[in-house]
Amino acid sequence: MSLVTLDFAEELKEYCGDNAFECFNCGTCAAICPLVHDNFPRRMIRYIQVGARQKILENSDELWRCLHCGLCTQTCPREADPGEIILGLKRFVVANWRKS
Amino acid sequence: MFNPRDIIEILAANVRQTKSPFGIPKFMANTWHKDLCLPKEGEYLLFTGLMYQFAPYIEKSTQYLEKYEDTKIAGYLKYTRLLPGYFSGIGLAMMTKPKEKKKAAKPLKDIAYLLQKSKVNFGYRPDLDNYSGILLYDMGDQQGFIAHAKKVARQLQDAGIKKIITIDPHTAYAFKELYPKYTGFGFDVKQYFELLNFEPKDCGLEVTLHDPCFFGRYQKLSDVPREQLSNMGISVTNIRNQGEFTSCCGGPAESISPRLSNEIMEKRAKELQASGKPIVAYCPICLGNLKKSGADVQDLSTLLAKHA
Repeated sequence: MSLVTLDFAEELKEYCGDNAFECFNCGTCAAICPLVHDNFPRRMIRYIQVGARQKILENSDELWRCLHCGLCTQTCPREADPGEIILGLKRFVVANWRKS
Repeated sequence: MFNPRDIIEILAANVRQTKSPFGIPKFMANTWHKDLCLPKEGEYLLFTGLMYQFAPYIEKSTQYLEKYEDTKIAGYLKYTRLLPGYFSGIGLAMMTKPKEKKKAAKPLKDIAYLLQKSKVNFGYRPDLDNYSGILLYDMGDQQGFIAHAKKVARQLQDAGIKKIITIDPHTAYAFKELYPKYTGFGFDVKQYFELLNFEPKDCGLEVTLHDPCFFGRYQKLSDVPREQLSNMGISVTNIRNQGEFTSCCGGPAESISPRLSNEIMEKRAKELQASGKPIVAYCPICLGNLKKSGADVQDLSTLLAKHA
């Protein structure tokens, strides 16, 4: 079972703004990503949208597979800037490690 | 894959203690300029950001990381952050062959030569030339990056520096986009190849150009090296993934997962090798990573200096 954190989007604003809500889950980012790995980065963005804070923390290692190459941002039809969202999630996770 | 937290905390501790992500003292890493007698003052300050200088040490440390990725020993990596930064840095410097360090100095010397030949009014101050902190930013250590960047920017500001020449895409991005946003200090930033000015030539060569993500996509500067090469009569083969749609060389993943980095690098090297032409890179990370694939690759500065 996964818990949903209702104010997760608010908490994330400090780290990556609120661009994740521009995303309509078309999957272009996952298709173009050189990692070709388990719906990355789309799945992480979906987690933000539904408030799955714990899921992101549990799967946080995946974020560092991202090469920050920017292809997802370049091709996103909604200009949601997935590359920056992933970078913002890294900031969020690092801040959480250091708080704990 | 290594535990990202272990890697980030090691890099952050090294930058805090030594201003270098690898803990290598600057006097050991930054020696390329010693026999060049470069002027100290000029309209621009040449700011290398030490990325080319770090390349042989990155290669050496990656060789060790490759050996221990996903082994039991990887779990002990976190304890290395308990060592003083300079201790591990000096160790890494001693393990790196002088031949490799000399090779890494070549693009830097070529860039200085190209700028001088183009009559660019620049100076070089090794005391002001520091690592930008970009790896901390890319890894998500925002706090560590800002603290380091403020120190670097303030030192430049105190020395009255307003215009700088960068030589790699990551330092250029840091100074153009991140420093104004996070440190409050802004500089007029030019990449070295934007300032070159030579008589047209006809070398009759053809090369394949690998655009780094941070020039091709983030800064949209991939036309400039093409113009410089074209001016020398060097044509650039068109490949599928280039310019704004260039493919990553895999370099950014090498500290977290050398295996993943190699997979991405092999794919890109194949694309670049398909034309059979010599490959030219213009980022120290891409250059080092593509060389690992065994590809015939050289730095843009080396090619330009040879024919200028």
